[in-house]
Amino acid sequence: MNKIFALLPLFFLSLTTQAQNFTFGSITYDDYEFDKKKLDSNANAIVLKEFGTASIQQDDATGSLELVFEHHVKIKIFNKEGFKEANIVIPTYKDESREETISEIKASTFNHIGNDFTETIMDKKAIFVENRSKYTRLTKFTLPNLKEGSVIEYSYKLKSPNLFNFRTWEFQSNIPKVISEYLVYIPGIYNYNVSLRGFQKLTDQKAEISRECLRLSGVPIDCSKINYTMKNIPAFIEEDNMTAPSNFKSAIYFELSDVQNLNGSKTSYTKTWKDIDFELSSYKTLGSQMKRKDVFKDLIPEITKGSSSDLDKAKSVYNYIKKQIKWNNYYGKYSEDNIKKALDSRSGNVADVNLSLIAALSAAGLDAEAVILSTRDNGTVNKLYPVMSDFNYLIAKVNIGDKSYLLDATEPLLPFGLLPLRCINDQGRVINLKKPSYWIDLIASQKSTTSYIMTGKMTVDGKIIGTLTTYTTGYAAYGKRKEILQHSSPDEYVEKLDERLTRIKILDHQISNLDSVENSLEEKYEVELTINDGTNNDQFYFSPFFIHTISKNPFNLNERTYPVDLGAASDERITINVLLPEKYLLLEKPKDMAIALPNAGGKYLLQTALDDNTISMNQILQFNNAIYQPEEYLFLKEFYSKIIQNQKTECLLKKTN
Amino acid sequence: MRLLFTILALFLVSVASFAQDNYDVDLIPSNLRNRANACIRNEETTVDMRSPDNVLLNVKKAITVFNQNGEAQARLVIFYDKNISIKSIKGEVYNSVGKLTHKFSQNDFADMSAADGFSLFVDSRVKHYLPSVTEYPYTLVYNYEIRNKQNLIIPDWTPKPADDVSVEKSTYTLICKPTDDVRIKTQNYTGKPEVITDEKQQKSVWKVNNILAVKPEPYSPARDTYFTNIQIAPKAFYYYNHKGIYTDWKELGKWIYDDLLVARKALPASTIEMIKDLVKNEKTDKDKARKIYQYLQDKTRYISVQIGIGGFQPVAASEVDRLGYGDCKALVNYMQSLLQAVNITSYYCVVSAGSEKKSMDPSYASMDQGNHIILCMPLDGDTTWLECTSQKIPFGYLSDFTDDRLVLACTADGGKLLRTPKLTTDENLQIRKAELTLQPDGSIAGKMHTAYTGSQYENQERLIDKPVTEQHKSLKETYNIDNIDFETVSFVQKKDIKPKLIEDITVSIRNYAPVNGNKMFLQLNAFNVKRSVPEVKNRTLPVYINRGYTDEDTIVYTLPDNVDSELITGQNKTFKNAFGEYTCKASVEGNKLTYYRKFILNDGTFPAERYAEFSKFINDVNAADYLKLAISLKK
Repeated sequence: MNKIFALLPLFFLSLTTQAQNFTFGSITYDDYEFDKKKLDSNANAIVLKEFGTASIQQDDATGSLELVFEHHVKIKIFNKEGFKEANIVIPTYKDESREETISEIKASTFNHIGNDFTETIMDKKAIFVENRSKYTRLTKFTLPNLKEGSVIEYSYKLKSPNLFNFRTWEFQSNIPKVISEYLVYIPGIYNYNVSLRGFQKLTDQKAEISRECLRLSGVPIDCSKINYTMKNIPAFIEEDNMTAPSNFKSAIYFELSDVQNLNGSKTSYTKTWKDIDFELSSYKTLGSQMKRKDVFKDLIPEITKGSSSDLDKAKSVYNYIKKQIKWNNYYGKYSEDNIKKALDSRSGNVADVNLSLIAALSAAGLDAEAVILSTRDNGTVNKLYPVMSDFNYLIAKVNIGDKSYLLDATEPLLPFGLLPLRCINDQGRVINLKKPSYWIDLIASQKSTTSYIMTGKMTVDGKIIGTLTTYTTGYAAYGKRKEILQHSSPDEYVEKLDERLTRIKILDHQISNLDSVENSLEEKYEVELTINDGTNNDQFYFSPFFIHTISKNPFNLNERTYPVDLGAASDERITINVLLPEKYLLLEKPKDMAIALPNAGGKYLLQTALDDNTISMNQILQFNNAIYQPEEYLFLKEFYSKIIQNQKTECLLKKTN
Repeated sequence: MRLLFTILALFLVSVASFAQDNYDVDLIPSNLRNRANACIRNEETTVDMRSPDNVLLNVKKAITVFNQNGEAQARLVIFYDKNISIKSIKGEVYNSVGKLTHKFSQNDFADMSAADGFSLFVDSRVKHYLPSVTEYPYTLVYNYEIRNKQNLIIPDWTPKPADDVSVEKSTYTLICKPTDDVRIKTQNYTGKPEVITDEKQQKSVWKVNNILAVKPEPYSPARDTYFTNIQIAPKAFYYYNHKGIYTDWKELGKWIYDDLLVARKALPASTIEMIKDLVKNEKTDKDKARKIYQYLQDKTRYISVQIGIGGFQPVAASEVDRLGYGDCKALVNYMQSLLQAVNITSYYCVVSAGSEKKSMDPSYASMDQGNHIILCMPLDGDTTWLECTSQKIPFGYLSDFTDDRLVLACTADGGKLLRTPKLTTDENLQIRKAELTLQPDGSIAGKMHTAYTGSQYENQERLIDKPVTEQHKSLKETYNIDNIDFETVSFVQKKDIKPKLIEDITVSIRNYAPVNGNKMFLQLNAFNVKRSVPEVKNRTLPVYINRGYTDEDTIVYTLPDNVDSELITGQNKTFKNAFGEYTCKASVEGNKLTYYRKFILNDGTFPAERYAEFSKFINDVNAADYLKLAISLKK
C-alpha cells in the first residue's frame, strides 16, 4: 500500500512559476470541439480545466487566520448521461462555534449557437443551502440551459477556520480531467506535511517564494508558493471488494506539523509519534479515560466472579461491556464525554465502549492497551509520519502471558478476539500509557469456516432423506447469527429457509450455540430432498452438488485495477454420504479435482466415490489470503470457472441385478 | 381564557396516562407476541382541527420492542417544515418488568434535512430518536404534539404499521366543530366510530384491539388495500395562504387548475413564435405534439426543488423556458404551455407513480394520493399520454411507472378521473433468437438478437448511450454466466408510442458445456431462467400479479462433429393454467439442435388458496429451465 503513498518535499525551489487561474468565460473552439478520444472515448463529461488556489489569510473583521480556498472548473458535457455533472454539491463543516462559508459562487453554461458562444448565467436564486445535519451544510446549485455539447464553468470561494489540514485537493474524480492544477500559498511560519495518494503521478511541481504574502501584527511574512499540476487524469471507477476509494484516488493531503510563533517560540502539532504518545496519554477523552479504573473498581469482583485464569477474566470483562454499553453507531477515537457517562447511560460511541473495556480490563488487573485505527471505509493511514486525522476508531488490546488479543466490544455477536470486518484494514497504532506506541497488524484472528455434513438414504421414489449439519465459525458464523436474529425466532428463520429451498423440505431442525458466540454455530436439519420423480430407477443422473452450489463466478470481469480485498481467509467443506436403495454402478462421475491458486493463495479439492452402495462426496474450498493483488484476479476467475464447469457435471448411476 | 383552559386540561390528561399504565412485558397476551418484533401496547392519536390553519396532532404511544428487528418501529420520526411546528416531545423507557429506566426530550433528537436523495432541494426536515437499550424487550412510551398550519392534509391513521407488529390497543380521535364538513374514508374497519357532539365540538373515535402480527407473503396486493386505515378530508381548507372548498375530484381538480396552474402558463412571445415556426409544416396535432415533445426532451432535464406550496405548484413555464430544467410539475406545465401555443389541448394529471399500480380512489377525493404529474392530450379521441421528466422515453409511452391506473386530470372544467393505458401480457414481450455454435470443447459462440416491447422495453433502456465498458459490465450481470464475453453490443431504440428496443450482441462463453469423459453437459436455456418462488403454507392474502408478460426464446445450436447427435432425444414440457403457460422443446435435425421456450405470466388477482398452485407452476418452470442434456461424444 505504501507505494501509492508518497511524501512530497515542500521546499523545492525552482524558477519562477507561471501558474495562475484562468479567466472565467474564456470559452474557445478548442474547448467546445474537444475530442474525448484524446482522453477517454467512454466519457460522458470531461473536466477541461480545473484550478484551485489555497492560502492562509487574516480575516479583516475578526482578525483571526483562516484558510481561503478558491475553486474554478470548466467542464465539457458530451451527452445527457453527463448532465449530472452540472448538479454541484459543496459540503462544508459547521458546529456551534465555527463554520466554513461559501461565497462568490459564479456559474454559467456556454452553448454554441449560430457563430457565437452564448452564456447563460446562473441566478443567485438557484443556489440552495441545506443544513444536512448537525455538522454538515450543503451548498447546492445546478447549471441552467444545459444541452448536449454545452461547456459549463463555475467557481466559488470557501473560507475555513480549519488550518490543520489546509485543503485537500482531489486530482482524480469520477470523470476524466485534461488538466488539474493546485496553487498553494503556505506562510513560512507554517510547516505542513504534504503527501500524494493514488496511482497517478504529478506532471509538474514548482515552488518559489512569494514575498510578504501575509502580515501579522505588522510583521510581513513570506510564503512558499507551490504549484502542483496533473494532466490527462483518468476517471476513478470503483470496483467490488475494495477498501475505501480514498486509498486509491489521486489526491494531495496536508497536515500541519508546526507553527513558528511571532515571539520566536514554536508550537508543534504533529511531529513524531513520541509527541503524539505524550498528548494522547493525557487527553481527557482518550488517555485519561483509559486510566479510569475507579469506574469499574467496585464492579470487577462481581464481573469476574468464578474466573480462574487471566484469560477467563478478560473474557468476562469483554462480555460484561458488550452487554452493558450499547454502541450508538458512531465511530470515534475519542470518548464523547467520559466512560462514566457511557456506562450510566449504557450507550456510547466506539471509543466510549472500548475505552470502558480498557479501563475495566485494567481494573481487573490485566495489561490493556488502546489501538487506534482507520476503518476500511475510511482509508489506510499514513505511516510515513503521524496523521491523527487519519484515525477514526479505537479498540482494545489485552496482553495475557505471551499472547495478545484485539478486542472490540461494539458487536455483541463477535467472539472474543475477532474484530469486526470494518477494522481489518492494514495496521493500527498501539497506544500504551507508559511505553512508546507501535504498529500492529489488523488481521482477522480466525478463519471464516463453514462445514456441511450430510448423511442420508436415497429412496426408490427419487428422494434423499437425511440429516444436514452445518458448523460455522468466524465471520461466516457472525453473518449467519445476524441473519437468524433478523427473524423473530429461529423457528421463523427455518420456516423462511424451507420456503426458499424449493427442492428441499426441512422436516425438523435444531440450532445450537446461537447465543454462545465463542462456540461454532451448529445447525442441524432433518431434510427431504427431491432429486427426480423416481420413474427411471434403472439408470439416472444425480448431481452431488446440491449443497451450496457455485453457479455464478464472483470474478466475472476481464480486468482489475485495484486489489481484491475479501477481509479474511475462508474455508468451506462439504461432506456427503448417501446410501442407495439398491445395488448401483457409478458409470460416470464429476472429475476428481485438486487445483490451487498461485503462491498457496487457495485450493479446491473434490472427490466422489461409490463404496458398498454408499455414494460419497468430499469437497474443500479454501482461500488463504484476505487480499489478492490485481494481477491475481484472472487466476481467481479461472479458479472459479474450473469449479463451476465441474459442478455442472453429474453422476450417472445404473442399477445392477 | 378558553385557550389556557385547554392547555391545562391536556397537561392533566397526559400526566394521568403516563402514571397509570403498567408496561410489564409479561402482561402482553401470547398471541400478540407470536411473529411480532414489536407490539403497540397503546396508541392514542388525536387530531384536533381548531381552525383550517390550526390543526393539532397529539400522539401518545407505548410500544414494546421484543428484539433488534423491532427497533425500526420504535424509532420516533417527526417531519416538520414551515407549516408544521413541533410543540412538545417527551418520553420514557421502561425495562422488561415495567420499571422506568430513563427519560428523553426534544434535546435528545437528531435533526436532519429530509432530503429524498433525488431532489436538489427540499425544505422539509426531520427529527428522529431511538433510545439506546441493550436488553430486550423494552417499552418506549412517548407523547408529542405538533401543530399543522394547514388542513389540506390531515394525518391519517394506520393502527398496524407493518406485518411484524402486533397491536394491543389503538385509537384515533378526530375533534372538529359540529359545523365543520369533513369527509371520512374508512377502510377495513368494522363498525362505526363513536361520536360525541356538544355545541362546541364533535368528537369521533375509532378503536382497534388485539391485531396480530403476520408473516409477509410474496405476491400480495398492495398493503393499503387490506390494512385498516382512516383518512380525513375537510371540505373547507387552508394551505400556504391558499383557501378552497372541495368534496369531490371535480372540485379539487378545479381548485388545482384555478389556484395553482393557470397563473403559471405564460410563455415569452419569442418562445410562442418559435414553437409555431417549429411545427408549421406538420399536418396533424399529433405530429405537432411529437415535434414539440422532441423539443422539450432536447431542451430540459429533471431537477427537483420542493419548497412550501411548491410541493403542489409548478414553477412558471417562463422559468423553465429560461433555465431548461424543472421537476415533474414544472415540466408538464411547460409542455402544456408549449402545446397551448399551437392550440393543442392537454390535461395536467396527478398520478401515483411506481411499478405497483395505485389508482386515485374514485369515491374519495383527497390531495395526498398522487406523487407525480403526467400530461394527457385528448387529441379528438386519439388520447395520447406524455411522461415529461425523461429525455429518453418515446413519445406517447408512459412505461410501467404510470400505466393502467386512475389519474386526476386538472382541467378548466374541474377535475376528472382518467385511466392510463394498460401494458398487457401480449404486448410485454421479450422475443429472443440466438444462433450459437457449440465447439468440441464445450465453448459456445454466436449471435443473439432480442427485441423488447411493452413494459419489457424498459429492461435495457438505461443502457442506451451508456459507454461500451458500462454496457459490457451490465450485460455480465444480466447474463451472469461464467466466462461470458461480448464482442459486439448494440442497442437500437425504436421510438414509438409502442416502443421497441433491439439488443444485438455477439456472445462467447468459454467451456459453457463441460466435457466429462465421453459426455458433454449442455444446459439448453442459458439466458432466461425463471427464478423460483417460496412455497408458503397457510396463505392468507390473495395472489396478486401486478403485470403480465410473455417471453419467447429460440436458440439454435450448431453441434460439433464429435457429438453423436443421433443419441440426443427430443425433450418436451408444457404446463398451462390460470397463471400462465410454459412450453419448452428441444429437437435435433442434422447438426442443428433447436431449443424453444415460451413463458407467459398473466396478471390478475387470484384467491389465497390458489397460491400453492401458483408456486408449483413457477417452480416447475424453474426446474424445467434447468433442463440439461448429457450429450454423448463419438469415440
